[in-house]
Amino acid sequence: MILEMNHIRKHFDDLDVLKDISFGVDSGEVVSIIGPSGSGKSTLLRCATFLEKIDGGEILYMGEKAAYTDESGNAVYVHHQQLRHFRSYCGLVFQQFNLFPHYTVLRNLTDAPIHVQHREREEAEATAMELLGKMGIKDKALAYPYQLSGGQQQRVAIARALAMRPEILFFDEPTSALDPELTGEVLKVIRQLAEEKMTMVVVTHEMPFAKAVSNRVIFMAGGVIVEQGDPLKVFDDPQEERTKQFLQVFER
Amino acid sequence: MTLSTMLSTMAAGMGRTCGVFILTLIGSLPLGMIVALLRKSRFALVRIIIRAYISVIRGTPLMLQLLVWYFGPYYLFGWSIRGWRFPALILGFILNYAAYFAEIYRGGIESIPVGQHEAAEVLGYTKAQTFMRIILPQVIKRIMPSVTNEVITLVKDTSLAFTLAYQEVFSLAKQISASQTSFMPFVIAGVFYFVANYIVAFAMERIEKALDYYK
Repeated sequence: MILEMNHIRKHFDDLDVLKDISFGVDSGEVVSIIGPSGSGKSTLLRCATFLEKIDGGEILYMGEKAAYTDESGNAVYVHHQQLRHFRSYCGLVFQQFNLFPHYTVLRNLTDAPIHVQHREREEAEATAMELLGKMGIKDKALAYPYQLSGGQQQRVAIARALAMRPEILFFDEPTSALDPELTGEVLKVIRQLAEEKMTMVVVTHEMPFAKAVSNRVIFMAGGVIVEQGDPLKVFDDPQEERTKQFLQVFER
Repeated sequence: MTLSTMLSTMAAGMGRTCGVFILTLIGSLPLGMIVALLRKSRFALVRIIIRAYISVIRGTPLMLQLLVWYFGPYYLFGWSIRGWRFPALILGFILNYAAYFAEIYRGGIESIPVGQHEAAEVLGYTKAQTFMRIILPQVIKRIMPSVTNEVITLVKDTSLAFTLAYQEVFSLAKQISASQTSFMPFVIAGVFYFVANYIVAFAMERIEKALDYYK
């Protein structure tokens, strides 16, 4: 197991966003998380990548505990030095890309490897160029983010996450900020990564994509996992009423 | 007094004006950043002190502040203020401008989207790295127009040094005008200030242009 999240609880003020969520991700697995907005999908990713703190439950990466619940029932995180080590396991691709506008595309990909991971500049740049080639935007290496289309920016963001050599890559609605005609080029890249057995968790509203690419689909609603399993089964023969309701909206 | 002696006396005064201007910037630009960061300190007491400082500085005239810094040590503690004129002047200017710069910095820092912080956090940057490498460069670009405004105001505000009878160009203009019953010193002072600000505006525009390589 690369990632295990057990009995995760998270609330914002009075609102319980995650109510006892448990799931795991195996190496090489592609998991899609679908569900209506406000169901807690994004919060779950943000907890997995340590952008949000859980209130209860435990998070394990590679079998090591990053957070757990103590006897009094409160979530406890490991020391922040160790947390940095856990952070290095995961990469996150945001809905809004969040590229660094003052850096070139190349520097977006090399700055963290050089200054966070202390890798050699030559090696970091070679890795970056290789990734850009894979994303089909090698010619944009010296461009600035504002000079790129949304689809290109998101591919840079994916490459930036991959440049850190994460064990697992999370996507938070990676195509929701894109025009429909740009969505395809980003999904193509994710599909290619799936073929290379990159471990990924994708929060998405692209149902055909989730069905075609993932090994497992998780349907979330109201802060719980309503149903999960093989995508063909969940999409074509959902067992839960809530799942059927949700999927009907997409069948038009 | 011939025009040329008048000019050379006032040029020396302009040199002192430039001295006040440069020392104030050297002190207040970095101090403003420290103040801006302390304003968001996790210690409530620090935040309260900083807010009070900014509020007092912005709520009272700079001229009054200069008088307090200069005469305060004597009236409050009975200390001798011999040789204290110039340090008091620079201290007053630096503390005043640092408060204004701090507010400009704070506005700039808060205008950076939260996604930039989050992206840096996920990539493993430390808080200090995130600030120095990701946030600050973007802040500097965004605040340049406001900083230019403040810097131009500072050129003119240096004339308040006359309050402490410091012999900068404006004090000299007043003195020479009174003793020579001539209007000329004011014209010369005006030209000096205008030219100084023209240079400042030009320099700041160059810096803004240099930061124009991204949006």
